[in-house]
Amino acid sequence: MVGPSSFEAIGTPWRIGHGGAETPVGSLGAALAPDDLTAVLERIEQFDRDWSRFRDDSLVSRIAREAGSWRLPADARPMLALYEQLHALTDARLTPLVGASLERLGYDAAYRLTPSGAPLPAPSWADTIALRHTVEGITLDTVAPVVLDVGAAGKGYLVDLVGDLLAARGVGDSVVDASGDVRVRGERSIRVALENPADPTKAVGVVELHNAALCASAINRRAWGNGLHHIIDAVTGLPVDQGVIATWVVADTALVADGLATALFFAEPVRLAEAFSFEWVRLTSDGRLDASPGLRGELFA
Amino acid sequence: MTRMMTTNARTTAGRIAAPVGVAAALIGTLTGCSTATTAEPPADQPAQPVDASYRDGMYLADGGYESPNGSETITVEIELTNDIVTGVVVTSNPTNPTTANFQSKFADGIGDIVIGQDIDKLDVTVVAGSSLTGNGFREAITTIKAEALVG
Repeated sequence: MVGPSSFEAIGTPWRIGHGGAETPVGSLGAALAPDDLTAVLERIEQFDRDWSRFRDDSLVSRIAREAGSWRLPADARPMLALYEQLHALTDARLTPLVGASLERLGYDAAYRLTPSGAPLPAPSWADTIALRHTVEGITLDTVAPVVLDVGAAGKGYLVDLVGDLLAARGVGDSVVDASGDVRVRGERSIRVALENPADPTKAVGVVELHNAALCASAINRRAWGNGLHHIIDAVTGLPVDQGVIATWVVADTALVADGLATALFFAEPVRLAEAFSFEWVRLTSDGRLDASPGLRGELFA
Repeated sequence: MTRMMTTNARTTAGRIAAPVGVAAALIGTLTGCSTATTAEPPADQPAQPVDASYRDGMYLADGGYESPNGSETITVEIELTNDIVTGVVVTSNPTNPTTANFQSKFADGIGDIVIGQDIDKLDVTVVAGSSLTGNGFREAITTIKAEALVG
């Protein structure tokens, strides 16, 4: 059967297709050539080995075991720069230092999914980590073990990196869909259904996407108990509970779209728009659907 | 145990402007069988109360119901002002992770949203919601459910 390449990686299903403007709207496009797919899987594996707190041999797991000076991979700079911005725009409620808070609530490498104590606020950025920019790259200095979690923006960033890799290999017309985080490049436009978190058979809207990324965030799937889900307010150490249940962001890159989709759980769109150019949709628990005026698509509220 | 203000509950309560009798019925509806009602009214009541049957304040009720997983409880806290329900807080006290999931959906109000169009009738390329979970997370949830059944 002709269809996109499909696989599971970093804990979620992926689909990648390539094809130009003639590709039917309902199709992601054709599967990647075997050597392109191999290169993609190696790139994802490298990112996972660096950034996953769910594997013992990752750089992040070593940083979680002992203090020290850690040379970060070359791809760290844009992601950490985004985190620094979002940290400031959400008054420290969004931070990559939230890993220990997630582990406390049970979302740890062993998937215990049972809280092991009182909620743990994340440590302060300034007291815990320092980034040194040197000619060799970025070095992370820590004074104590720290559990980094790049869940807010890491997957979107990896979608960008995979598309970059494909473009460098001559595959310029691609759709990379990492289950909710998608980026389309080239001539074609795609239509993206915005899934209703209360009913995955329903869409609350459809967005047209051309040379852009759309990332979604919602509290319905990575949830494991009474009010426990994966979007943690770093200030309290508790899952955020402000009435936002799902967000979607369209931006030039999936890195920015993914980070902003999480940030919308903590900050008003107008504040994030001080620093970023993006379109957004937000669903609240009373069923209200809000969107930015410039959104290309339709809502079914 | 978590406490959540449910926007739906607040909206409904405010809109019906229920007298206390109706409020009590509301508690009964929410909790199945209401077992206790305790009042902690503010110390300084207005000197000239309006035509009210109950004093203003917060009222608590615990209720129990039988779920497929056994007995579960829920606490409903209602704020009364001049016999009008002005606020409702639902606190779920699940003893079982499966129930906890349903209760938290109820308390979040997620279960009430029915908006949208059928995705399989839309001509779309991709569906974007929260990421599908991988095998590890799904297996852990399955294990918890199995343990809950045995327990």
